[in-house]
Amino acid sequence: MPVFVEEEGESAFMFKKNSLNKDRYGYYFVAPFFLSFFIFGLGPILYSFYLSFTSWSGFEEPVFVGLANYERLIHDEVFYQSILNTLIIWIFSIIPQLSIALILALVLHEKFIKGSHFFHAIFYFPNIITPVTLGVMFALLFDWQTGSINKILEYIGIVDEPVNWMNDPWMARAIVALAIMFQNFGFNMLVFLAGLQAISKDLYEAAEVDGASRLQIALNITIPLMRPVIIFTLITSVIGGLQIFDAPLMLGKGPDNSTLTMIMNLYETAFVRYDYGYGATIAYGAFVVIALATIITFMVPGVRNKKEV
Amino acid sequence: MKNVKRLYVCLLLLLAFSILGACSSNSEKESSAAKNDPNANASAPEDFKGTLEIWTFFADVEKMAVKFEEEYPNVKVNVSVFPGDQYQTKLMNAINTKTDVPDIFDLEKGYMGKFMNQPFVADLSAMGADDLVKDYVPYVKELGTGEDGSIRAISDHSSPGAFWYHRDLAEKYLGTSDPAKVSEMVSSWDKIIALGKQVKEKSNGQVSLISHYGDAYNSEKSHQEMWVKENTLNIDPAWETVFNNMKAIRDENVDAKLGYMSGGWGDALNEGGVIMFANPAWAGFMIDNENGAAAGKYGLAKTPSGYFEGGTYRAIYEGSENKKLAYEFLAFIAGEEWQQYNLEQTGNMPALQTVYEKNKDTFTHEFFGEQKILDTYYDLVMDIPAVKATENNDEITTLWYDAASEAINSGESYEKALSDFKGFVQNQYPDIEVK
Repeated sequence: MPVFVEEEGESAFMFKKNSLNKDRYGYYFVAPFFLSFFIFGLGPILYSFYLSFTSWSGFEEPVFVGLANYERLIHDEVFYQSILNTLIIWIFSIIPQLSIALILALVLHEKFIKGSHFFHAIFYFPNIITPVTLGVMFALLFDWQTGSINKILEYIGIVDEPVNWMNDPWMARAIVALAIMFQNFGFNMLVFLAGLQAISKDLYEAAEVDGASRLQIALNITIPLMRPVIIFTLITSVIGGLQIFDAPLMLGKGPDNSTLTMIMNLYETAFVRYDYGYGATIAYGAFVVIALATIITFMVPGVRNKKEV
Repeated sequence: MKNVKRLYVCLLLLLAFSILGACSSNSEKESSAAKNDPNANASAPEDFKGTLEIWTFFADVEKMAVKFEEEYPNVKVNVSVFPGDQYQTKLMNAINTKTDVPDIFDLEKGYMGKFMNQPFVADLSAMGADDLVKDYVPYVKELGTGEDGSIRAISDHSSPGAFWYHRDLAEKYLGTSDPAKVSEMVSSWDKIIALGKQVKEKSNGQVSLISHYGDAYNSEKSHQEMWVKENTLNIDPAWETVFNNMKAIRDENVDAKLGYMSGGWGDALNEGGVIMFANPAWAGFMIDNENGAAAGKYGLAKTPSGYFEGGTYRAIYEGSENKKLAYEFLAFIAGEEWQQYNLEQTGNMPALQTVYEKNKDTFTHEFFGEQKILDTYYDLVMDIPAVKATENNDEITTLWYDAASEAINSGESYEKALSDFKGFVQNQYPDIEVK
C-alpha cells in the first residue's frame, strides 16, 4: 500500500509538472489579446490618468500640475450639470426602452403571431443605424421651422404656431432620450426574446392545464424567470446609457446646456478646446460616476442573488 | 525554458534597438534638414525637383497641386486630404511625434492662432514672404502674421461676406433688384428691421427679408475689440448693439428663424421664402445649379459692415527638408496667376488687392448675372479690421453668441446673456480673469 501511494503521488506530481510545462503554449495563444490590450487598452488608460494631473494643450510637453485639475472638477458646475443631464436623459430613455422591449418580446413570443421573424428584423433595424445618423434624423424631425413633426401637428390642427422643441430644456432632453430609445429598444427586445426562448415549455403547459390566464402566466412565470436577462439589460443599459454621446452631439447642447452629457463635455474639453489635461480629468470623473451607478444597480434588491433563479 | 528566456532577451533587445534607432533617425533628420535641401541653388521653375507633401482638410488644394506641377515639371506634389474636424488632432499628433510631418500643412482660420506661434512653424518672413503679401488685403495678411510680426501662414484667398438675394423676390417685395439700390436699402440694421417688417406685411407672413438674426451677428462680429486683454475678459460695449439688433429682428418677426446652414436655410437659399442671406464668397457650393438653374438668380448687396467667414492658410513645417520648394509653392499660390485662375474656376475671392482691382470692372459670375461682384466685395473686404489670429478669440465669440441666442430665444435681457456668457468663459477658460 505505501508503495502504491508513493507511486500515485509521484505520478500525480509528474502530471502536475507536465501540465505546468505545457501551460506556456496557452500563454502564447492568449498573448495577442493581452499585448493589444496592454498597448491599446491599458496604455491609454494609464496615460490619460497621468494626463489628468497635467496641463497640456497638445503642443510642447504636458506640465505637471498636481491635483489642480481635480480641484477644478470638484468646483465645476458644468460637470455636475452634465451628470444630471445624462441621468435625466438616461431615465427618460431607459424606462420606455425596456418596457417597450419587454412588451414586444412577450407579444412576439406568442405562438399566434404570424411572421414574428419579420418583426424581429424590423424592430432591430434602428440599432444598425449609427447614432450620428439618428441624431441628425431627429434634429430634422424636430426642427422648429421645417421639421416634419411640427408640419404634421400644424396640419392636424393641434398647434397653430410651430413648436420650438429644442428651446425647452425638458423637451430637448426628452427628444435626445427618444432618439436613444428608438435606437436601442430593438436590441433589448432580442435579448428578452432569447431569454423567453430559454424558459421550459413544460412550465407554460402546466400553467395552462391549471387554467392560468395569459396575464397570470406572464406575471408569475415569464417575468420571474426572465430576471437574469432583465438584470443583464439593466446593467448594460446603465453603463451604455451614461456614456451617451453621438446622438446628443448631433442634437446640440440644448438651452442652458440642458443636453450636454458627460461624454460630450469631455469631448468638447479635450477635442474642441484641446485642453487634454482637464479632458482626462473629466474622463476619470465620468468613470467614477459610472462605477457608482453600476454599484447602485447591483444594490437594487434581487440583482445580486441570481442563484435563486 | 532556456529557449524561452533567449526568446525574451532577443525580443527585448529588438525592441530597445528599434526605439533607439527611431530616436537617432529623428535627430539625424532634423539636424540635416537644412543641409540636404536638393533645391538650395534652384531658381527657375524647372530647376526645382523632388516631392512635396501637403496636408489639408480642403479638397481644392489638389487643383493647386496640378497647376503647380504644370509650372514646375520636375516636382511631384502629394496632397493628403483629411476632411472633417479630426484634421487638427491628426496634424497635432504628427507634429508631436515628428512622424510623417508634411512639408506644408493647412490651417483653418478658426484655430490657426493656436498653431502659428509655435516653434515648429517656419518663419516665412525670413524666406522673403513679406514681399509676397505686400499687396494683400490687410485682414488676410494680418491673420497670417505671428505675434513677433513675422509672416507665419499665407492664404491664397479672401472670404468676404455679403447679402446674396433672390432677384425675383427683391423685385416683388423691395420694388427693385438693382444691387446698388438694394445695398442702399439694407445699409444699416435699423433699415433692415424696418424693411423686414414691410416685407412680412406685404407677403402676409409668407416671405422674410432675412433668414435668421444670426446674420446680424455674423456680419458684425469682426468689428469689436479682442476678448482678452492682459489676461482679463474685455467686453466691448459694441456687443450690446449687436445683441439689440439680433433681439429686435426676432421680436419684430423679421427673420424666418432658419438657422445658418440648417436644412430649411438651404432650401430657402435655393427655392425662396427668404429674400436675402449673409453669405461668404465661398458659399457657391450650396447653390443648386443643375442645368444652369441658378444662372442670374441672385444679386449681391453690401452688408452694413464688411465681414469675412473662414479662411484656409498654409504654413511650412520648420523641420521640413524641402523648405525651399515648399516656399516656392506658397509663392505660387500667393501670386496673381494662381489667384486669377482660382477666381475664374471656383469663384473664390483673391487675397491680392491687385487681382481685385484688375477684375472689379469686368468679372462676372454665373449666379449673379451681369453684376460686377468684385466691385461689391472689394469695398467690403477693405472694411474688415486687420487683426492677428489669437488662441481663443473665435471660441469666445462663439460663447457670446450661444449666450446671446439663448437669451433672445427665451425673451431674456442682455444682462442675463452677459452673465451667462461670463459664466461660460470662466468655466471654459479658468486662466482668464472675468470681472
